[in-house]
Amino acid sequence: MFRPGHNRHDLRELADEDLMELVREGDARAFEVVFDRHGGVAFSLAYRMCGSSARAEDVVQDAFVSLWRSGARYDRARGSVRSWILSTVHNRAIDSFRRESARHGQDVHDERLAELVPAATTTEAEVQQRDDAHRVRTALAQLPPDQRRVIELAYFGGFTHTQISEMLELPAGTVKGRMRLGLAKLRGSLSAGGLTP
Amino acid sequence: MSERHGPVHDCGGDAAAYVLGALEPAEAEAFRGHLLECVVCRDEVETLAGVVQALPMSAPQHAAPRRLRRRLLRAIREQPPSRAATAGRPASRRRLRPATLLGAAAGAAAAVAAAVLIALGGGPGATLSRVIRASVSGVSGSVQLRISAEHGELVARHLSAPPPGHVYEVWLKPAGSGPRPASVLFTVNRDGFADVSIPASLRGITAVMVTPEPAGGSPVPTHAPVIVASVA
Repeated sequence: MFRPGHNRHDLRELADEDLMELVREGDARAFEVVFDRHGGVAFSLAYRMCGSSARAEDVVQDAFVSLWRSGARYDRARGSVRSWILSTVHNRAIDSFRRESARHGQDVHDERLAELVPAATTTEAEVQQRDDAHRVRTALAQLPPDQRRVIELAYFGGFTHTQISEMLELPAGTVKGRMRLGLAKLRGSLSAGGLTP
Repeated sequence: MSERHGPVHDCGGDAAAYVLGALEPAEAEAFRGHLLECVVCRDEVETLAGVVQALPMSAPQHAAPRRLRRRLLRAIREQPPSRAATAGRPASRRRLRPATLLGAAAGAAAAVAAAVLIALGGGPGATLSRVIRASVSGVSGSVQLRISAEHGELVARHLSAPPPGHVYEVWLKPAGSGPRPASVLFTVNRDGFADVSIPASLRGITAVMVTPEPAGGSPVPTHAPVIVASVA
């Protein structure tokens, strides 16, 4: 059983849920390991949603500080640490949208992006993460464009179905129907790859 | 099979928009109410929520910038974690957020009157840090009372929401007299989660009670406790 005083190498051997037990007790080094493990995917989600590196950094920092301060709220029965983190980042990004009067494009890339891409994968977990990401991206890309579009606008854009209906000049029922069909197809693709329950 | 009552709902029609967080706030609130009654929609939400949880992986993956890491670690070292969090937010304040959907569906089985009675040892023992687990009957969920120094924090998981138009109210019961208001009202979030700090000292208190009361609270408990937890 881990006790304070173990070094960072020991911490890196711990599962996320065990690290969160330490975070709950105020262990900053454990939190650092959690960030190192999930900061990349958190930043990637924020960057995808915000379209700006600076804004994504603000969202991720805000989210992780919030997680640090509320670590006692993590309940492993409700899902993985990663899901908990990504949910918080997603929420914070949407909150950020609401504070801003204008939204950025959803596929914006800036010149700083190249600096952010890791030079090489270094761990088995990172390799697995990249494989999973590739499979999810592929599954999403294989959706009919009209279904993919409404899902992306809702999830990454933070738009409601009403806003999407107005944007795309479609009946609300059509938008909801495309969301439903698209998610059902995605589930089929991801289940085949073992990525969803 | 669906067990619906109230306005007819297009079962399944809103589940995808719900898990994507794309319903309007009022629609999401109505759908959450519908989920309490409809096993078809609960199943669909549970199924689709797993898909939505995978969506972040579809974003091109980047490393977190080093400056972000430095900034974050500096920030957390300046801010100790807080365990005295406020109560679970009312669901209507925010749009539906995907990661909480499974919990919302699982925790939506019943909405019943609830009360928690947690007996506390008086005297010097009340100043020790400890966690008291409440045994809950007649209401779904679990509740812990965490005591640090003389102050308490109620942590509820998967607790049924109070009945419509009601909130939970916390009461402190001193030895030999009736309960008095703790000036704490709360509800649970979509997962049935709440983390409630009790600002008053627990010294001399023999029980902490939580009862469902009309919105705004009551001067005296209007419901008998239906859940009781005693100190072992």
